[in-house]
Amino acid sequence: MAGAFSSINTALSALRYQQSALDIASTNIANASTDGYVRRRVVGETVGAAAAPAVWSRSNEIGSGVQSSGVQRMVDPLLDARVRREHGRQTYLDTKAAAMSRVETGINEPSTTGVAKAIDTFRSSLDDLNNAPNSDAARSQVLANANGVADAFNTQSRNLQDEMGDQRARVVATVQEINTVAQQLADTNRSISASSGGGSDTATLMDTRDQLALRLSELTGATATPQADGTMDITLGGASLVSGRDAATLEVSAGIAADGTADGSPVAFSLTQPDGSVDDPVVPSGGRLAASVELIDHVLPDYAADLDALVEQFTKAFNDAHALGFDATGAQGGEFFHSSDPDDLAGSLRVVVTDRSKIAVSSIGTTPPAAPVPNNDTGNAAKLADSITIQDGYQRLVNGFGSDVASIQRLAANQSTMTTQVDAAREQQTGVSLDEESVNMLMAQRSYEAAARVMTTVDEMLDTLINRTGLVGR
Amino acid sequence: MTLSRMTQNMMSRQSFAGMQTAMDRVAKSQEQLTTGRLINRPSDDPTGATTAMRLRSSLSSQQQYVRNADDAVGWLDQTDTTLGTMGSQITRAHDIALEGANTGAMGPDALAALATEVEQIRAGMISSANARYLDRPLFGGITTGTAAYDANGDVLDPAALGTGTGVVRTIADGQRIRIDVEGPEVFEGADGVSVFTHLADLSAALKSGSTTAISSAIGKLKDDGDRVVNMRSEIGARTVRVENARSVADDASLTLTNALSSVENVDLAKATVDLSLREVAYKAALGATARVLQPSLLDFLR
Repeated sequence: MAGAFSSINTALSALRYQQSALDIASTNIANASTDGYVRRRVVGETVGAAAAPAVWSRSNEIGSGVQSSGVQRMVDPLLDARVRREHGRQTYLDTKAAAMSRVETGINEPSTTGVAKAIDTFRSSLDDLNNAPNSDAARSQVLANANGVADAFNTQSRNLQDEMGDQRARVVATVQEINTVAQQLADTNRSISASSGGGSDTATLMDTRDQLALRLSELTGATATPQADGTMDITLGGASLVSGRDAATLEVSAGIAADGTADGSPVAFSLTQPDGSVDDPVVPSGGRLAASVELIDHVLPDYAADLDALVEQFTKAFNDAHALGFDATGAQGGEFFHSSDPDDLAGSLRVVVTDRSKIAVSSIGTTPPAAPVPNNDTGNAAKLADSITIQDGYQRLVNGFGSDVASIQRLAANQSTMTTQVDAAREQQTGVSLDEESVNMLMAQRSYEAAARVMTTVDEMLDTLINRTGLVGR
Repeated sequence: MTLSRMTQNMMSRQSFAGMQTAMDRVAKSQEQLTTGRLINRPSDDPTGATTAMRLRSSLSSQQQYVRNADDAVGWLDQTDTTLGTMGSQITRAHDIALEGANTGAMGPDALAALATEVEQIRAGMISSANARYLDRPLFGGITTGTAAYDANGDVLDPAALGTGTGVVRTIADGQRIRIDVEGPEVFEGADGVSVFTHLADLSAALKSGSTTAISSAIGKLKDDGDRVVNMRSEIGARTVRVENARSVADDASLTLTNALSSVENVDLAKATVDLSLREVAYKAALGATARVLQPSLLDFLR
């Protein structure tokens, strides 16, 4: 048999519970647009008879009110894992597409100022020189246009080198950020295990944890594994980056020198564990880091190598043709183009000939030791012009790169649809709906009012019992 | 996608994404319209970009062929005019020789006068033989000098003749044509004696009144005149060839420009219509955003 005050206690529990429901609704509304915030829900449970009655005891309680059994974070761990994976892919593709688009803009084709145009103009000026071998203007024009070709190749090579330099700097900065985020996650893990041990609410820490894990996925494509105690472990390329309260340190082990320049080998990473053991090499599976490595090790050097091959072909053919001819004084033609750096033929391409009379367009002349006799022959001009045969190769190169850029942009756009979709799915689960919270508030308010009314009612009943009972004849 | 819950954030994000997409399309249309080009970078259309580069390269060659042909025609015309003058001078000398051959009717004074005229014709001929086009002697082969003949009618720079490729112009892909005539080709007979020597001989013969010498000069001058005429018809043939090539290159330039334009340039009408359509889509996205994001349950609760 419940006591007389039992209902007052029940009403009190309802007041408390509805108040916490109102608290949660207001927290949700306050954080409606906070990044990484996951909506909460207070879970109520009926307070009833003892779950495990004592021997011979018997309860005829109907119910003793309500209590909050905890605050629930509305997440789906599987969906979160999916979101991390898709974001890692998205960042990888976006980084790659952005860098390749920049390089493509630097290639500057088709245009009236690129390499192709410079080569055409150079060829034309050779024809003009053929038409007027005695004209200093025509000779100067050939030299100027030859320098134009060299400049166009230099510019393109410099763009590639700049982009590679930027990507190396980006790798270094990303590694720093990864280490910071990993350390933050380890710290958050420590707080979570301490708090949950102490029974405190860990929802906010969990939000932080999920956000940090997402960031690490975006940076490296690392996989996250939630643990039973609420902490999260991160694995990068098979090695542990964050394990519980410990974070390993990621380092660039090869490929980038201390001053940010290339050291000639492919970019590689190592992980130093807190206990001093080293995992080497560690290969990032995706995200920004993998994209930068791919750009530095493959995409950009491949293009540069193809460009260098074209420059080598161009230089050799032209120099060979030039050496067969004789200049305005009748002396044999020397080297015309020269690349000083064998590792960067396009970037170091220069015109060696500075004296306009040294352009060897004549096919007649004298080889030393006889004294040269000047002439206006142009037998070699056509051979010089015909030696320029890299247009096709260059068009193929530009076409190939353009196709690559178009394809990576398409992939990034497709991935973006996917990422948006999983983001929406997650938002569906975790996002705050203001309408929903308004309804929750309304319910909490009304329930609170009703519970208060219960109290008044019981109070009136007791008033009747205490003050008006047994007063016959008074 | 089935939605069990919809939140304000999702709607904002969707609206934002929609607006971004619509605006991106507007920007793309705008880029095409402002640059006037469909292909602004290789990735816009890799195949089209290659075609455009190829067309540009061919166009540049064809335009150069037109320039080369123009230059060649100038040179050939100059040669033709010069040879025309020289031909009539030779005819005049031939006429004088015929007149002088009639020694019975002419006194020594008249013959001397004829001789003087022949000498003047000779001087004029030598001067014509030194005619230049853009500072180069037309008949001097590949000489770097400013004249082909000296005042005595002798070749100044024999080493520049009959050697190398001569003066050539590229008038089409792989098609090179020689446009110059070397002095000896037209002014010298098979015996290697030049028309200038013949004229000097004629002048001397007139002065001496030797009928045999004058008759022999008549025959030689006839041959000299024939060579000039033959060479002019040869020059005419070359001019025709160069002019044909020029008009072919000109046509090709036009065709290539059209082709390049169709690959690379924006169809203005289409691009404008596209822009309008995309603007409408963008405005619709803006309108939808403005209307969707405003109401919430809070507007309806007291």
